[in-house]
Amino acid sequence: MSNASQRIIPLEEGWNDEIKAKAIDKLEALLNGGLDSGQASMFGPREYVQIYTTCYDMCTQRSPYNWSRELYDRHGQTIERYLTSNVLPALREKTGQGGTILLRELNHRWTNHQIMNKWLKKFFTYLDRYYVKHHSLPTLSQSGLRRFQTHVYDEMKQDTTTAILGLINEEREGKIIDKSLIKSIVELYESMGMGTLDAYNADLEEALLSATREYYAKKRDFWINDSTPEYLVKAEEALNEERNRVADYLNSSSESKILKVVEEEILEKVEMVLLEKETSGCRALLQNDKSEDLQRMFRLFSRLENGLNPMASIVQSFISTMGDDITNRRQARLDGGEKDKNDDPRFVKALIALHEKYLGVVKKDFSGHSLFQKALKDAFVEVVNKNVGQYTNAELMSTFCDRILKSGGEKLSESEVEETLDRIVQIFSYLTDKDMFAEIYRNQLAKRLLNQRSTSNDAEKLMIAKLKMQCGTQFTSKMEGMLADLAVGSEQRTEFEQRMRSVDTKLDFSVQVLTTGFWPSYKSPQVSLTPEMSKCMGVFKEWHDTKHQKRKLSWMFSQGNASVRGTFGKKSYDLQVSTLQAIALNALNDGITLTFEEFSRKLNLDHAIMKPLMHSLSCGKYKVVRKTPPGNKINASDKFAANAKFTCNMRKIRIPMASLDSSFNTKRVEEDRSIAIEAAIVRIMKARKTLQHQQLLSEVLAQLAFFNPNPRVIKKRIEALIDREYLERSADNPHVYNYLA
Amino acid sequence: MDVEESNATVNLISKEGDQFPVPSGVANMSELVKSMMDDDEEEDEDDTKEIPLPNVKAQVLRKVIEFCEHYLEEPMTEIEKPLKSQNMADVVQQWYATFVDLEQVLLFELILAANYMDIKPLLDLTCATVASMIKGKTPEEIRATFNITNDFSPEEEAQVREENKWCEEA
Repeated sequence: MSNASQRIIPLEEGWNDEIKAKAIDKLEALLNGGLDSGQASMFGPREYVQIYTTCYDMCTQRSPYNWSRELYDRHGQTIERYLTSNVLPALREKTGQGGTILLRELNHRWTNHQIMNKWLKKFFTYLDRYYVKHHSLPTLSQSGLRRFQTHVYDEMKQDTTTAILGLINEEREGKIIDKSLIKSIVELYESMGMGTLDAYNADLEEALLSATREYYAKKRDFWINDSTPEYLVKAEEALNEERNRVADYLNSSSESKILKVVEEEILEKVEMVLLEKETSGCRALLQNDKSEDLQRMFRLFSRLENGLNPMASIVQSFISTMGDDITNRRQARLDGGEKDKNDDPRFVKALIALHEKYLGVVKKDFSGHSLFQKALKDAFVEVVNKNVGQYTNAELMSTFCDRILKSGGEKLSESEVEETLDRIVQIFSYLTDKDMFAEIYRNQLAKRLLNQRSTSNDAEKLMIAKLKMQCGTQFTSKMEGMLADLAVGSEQRTEFEQRMRSVDTKLDFSVQVLTTGFWPSYKSPQVSLTPEMSKCMGVFKEWHDTKHQKRKLSWMFSQGNASVRGTFGKKSYDLQVSTLQAIALNALNDGITLTFEEFSRKLNLDHAIMKPLMHSLSCGKYKVVRKTPPGNKINASDKFAANAKFTCNMRKIRIPMASLDSSFNTKRVEEDRSIAIEAAIVRIMKARKTLQHQQLLSEVLAQLAFFNPNPRVIKKRIEALIDREYLERSADNPHVYNYLA
Repeated sequence: MDVEESNATVNLISKEGDQFPVPSGVANMSELVKSMMDDDEEEDEDDTKEIPLPNVKAQVLRKVIEFCEHYLEEPMTEIEKPLKSQNMADVVQQWYATFVDLEQVLLFELILAANYMDIKPLLDLTCATVASMIKGKTPEEIRATFNITNDFSPEEEAQVREENKWCEEA
C-alpha cells in the first residue's frame, strides 16, 4: 500500500544518501564530539521526520522493494560496528589506569550508547511496529542493548566489578568516593539483565558479598580486642553504613543479603566471645547497670536467628545469682544470731527491689522480649522457692503483707500500699507453694479482721483482688467469704442492737458470725461463762435462730474481746482483754484468791489454756493479777488474786495474750493438697478412661497450679483411689490405670 | 510541562506546505508527533513548533485533525472483532460512522496517513471500514467494489476455491 505517487527508493540510495549520511554519521559525530547529556535535541523535527519518512517509505514499498529486513539488520550492524570500533578501544585504553578512570569511561560510553539506541529506535521505529512483531524479533531497543552486552559488557564486567569493589572498600575506610558514578554503573548492571536482575546478581552482587565477608572478617579480628560495648558500637555503625550504602547506590534487593553477611561475620561468629568477656561482657554490663550498652547488645543480637538465647541465659543466671546473694545475706544474719522470725521485711524488700529493678531492665533495655521475661521468671522461681531458716518464704511474704495491711505495721500512703502489694503479688506468682501462702495469709487475715487491726478494708479487698487475678476465683473464695462475713456482720449488728435495747443487761454485747469453712479452725474451749454473758448469748441465739432456722451456731470464745472496767485501789482502768481474760478477771472480783487448780476448775479450762491465760494477766507488762509466789512461769501451785497495787499512766490498757492456735495449720494444707490431687486424678481419668502411670503423673502436675507435689504423694493418692474403687490397675499392665465409672 | 503542553500549539505542515496550527493535545494523538515533542523540552516555549508531514496531503491532514479533535471530545468505543455488522453505525458511534463515509480514494489515503502518523484509533476505524466493505461479499462482488481485475486463470481459480472450501462451509 505504498504511496503510489512517490517513486521507489532503492536500498543503497536510501541507506547511503539519507539514513547513513543524515542520521547515523551525524549521530556518531555528535557522540564522539562529546556532548552534554541534557543538551537540546540533537535532531530537530524537520530532520527527524525526514529520516523517519525515508525509513517508513523503504519499509512500506511493495516487495521486492520492501527493505524492512535489510533495515533491521543494518540497524543492528550499525550499533555493533560503533561499539567494536569506537567504544571498545576507548575502554581498553582505560583499563589498568585505576578504577575510577575506567568506570568514568564506561559510564560515558554507556550514556552514549543509551542516546544512540534511543535515536536509532526513533528513526527506525516503524520496524518495531510491524516487522519485529510479525517475525518475533528482539525490539530495536533490546537488540541495541544485547549488542552492548555482547561486545562491551561481557568483556569489561570483570574489571569494572573489581573497580567497584575497590571503591566500596575505600568508602568503608572513610574515603569520599563518587557515589553517583557507581550508581550509574550499577544501573548498567541492572539493565544488562534484560528485565531481570540476573546480570546484577551474578556479575556484581555475588562478588560484592564475598568481598564484604572478607572485609568484615578482618575487621572482626581487629575489633575483637576492644571491650564488648566498644565492639558493638562499631558493629552497629558498620551495619548502618552498609544499609545506607545499598540505599545510596546499590540495588535495594541486596540490602538483606549484605546485612546478613555482615551480621554473620561480626556478630554471629563472635557472639559468645562478646557476651562472655570478663570485664565488659553481658554479665559485667548488668552488674554495672550499663543500660545503653545492654540495649545495643539486645538490638544487635536480636538480628540473629536465636541470637538472644545465650544472652537471655546469661541474664537469667545473673538474676538468680543476685537473688542467691539476698538469700545468703538472710542466712548470714540468721547465722550471726538474728532471731529467726516469720517476719523478715529486709529479705522480702530486697527480693521486691531486685525484681523491680530487673523487671525494669527487661522492659526497657530488652523491649519486654518474651525470652527475657522468661529469664526473669525462671530466675525468680529458683530464688523464691529456696527457703533458709525455720520459716518458708511463703510465710515471710505473707507476714510482709500483714505488716503492710495491719495497723501499726509499715507506715505507707494509700498509693504506696497499693504499689507494694502489687510487687509482692509479682513475687508471690513465682512461688510453687501458693496454697501454703494462701493458708498463712488467711490466718493472718482472720487475725487482722477479728482483732480490728486491719488498716483499710479497701486495701484488704485490693490485695485479694490481685491474688484472684493471679490465681483465679477458687484461690481466694475463702478470703472473700471472710470479708463478706464482716460486711454482713456490720449490717446485722445494728439490727441486733435494737433487740438488745429491750434486754436488761449491763453488758454492751455484740456478736460476729463467721461462716464455717471460710475461717481458720480455732480451738473452742467450753469455758464457764458469767451469767450475764450467758444471758446475752441466749438473746442472740434466739434472735439468730428466728432469722436463720437452718444454721447452727457454735461459739468461739477464744476469739472474743471484751472491754472491762477494773478498779485497783482508788484508780480504775479500762482493760482491753479477750473474752477468756475477762472471765478470769471476773472470777477474781471482790478480793477472792484462787489456786491454779481452783481457778482451772472454776473456769472449766484445762492447763494448756490456763497457763497462757494466767501468764498474760500476771507476768506480762501489765500485772493486773498478783501471783504468789511471783515469777515469770505459771506453776500448778501458784495462787492468784487481783493486784490492788496495780498502777499505770494510761487509763486504757490493752493486755495481749499468746494465741492458742498456731499461726497456720500445715496439716490442713496437706489435706487440701490430697483433695486437690485426687480431684485432678479423677478429672483426668474421667476424660481419658485409660492412662499410663507416667502420663497421668505429668498431667496431674500440669493441672495443679498452687503447689508442686512430690510424685510419691501423687502415687499415694492413686493407691487411695484404687482402694476406693475409682480406678483399677489394668489386668495386662500394672503401670496402666483404668477409670471405673 | 503538562500545563504548558495543554496551551501550546503545534504547526502541522502538509505535503504541499499548508500550515495547520492545532493544540498540542490534538497533535499528540499521533505517536510520531508525540515522539518528537518528548525530546524538545528545552526548545523555546514561545515558538510554535513546526512539524512537517511530507507524506500527508492537506486534504487528508484536514480529515486527520478533524478525527483527532473529535476523539478528544468523544473517545471512540473499541471496535469489536470480528465485526458484528456491515453497517459501521452498528460498530462505532454515529459521528465516526459518518466520518468514514468517504470516497474510497480518500479512505485509503486516510489509512496511509494513520499508519504513517501512528494514530491507532484512526487506523482501527479506517481499516474496520474497509473490512465492513468486504464482509459478506463474494469474490466477484469484492472485485467490483474495489475495482480489481481477476488475474486468475479459470484453472487457478478452481484450485483456490477447492483449497478454501472450508471457508464457505463454515
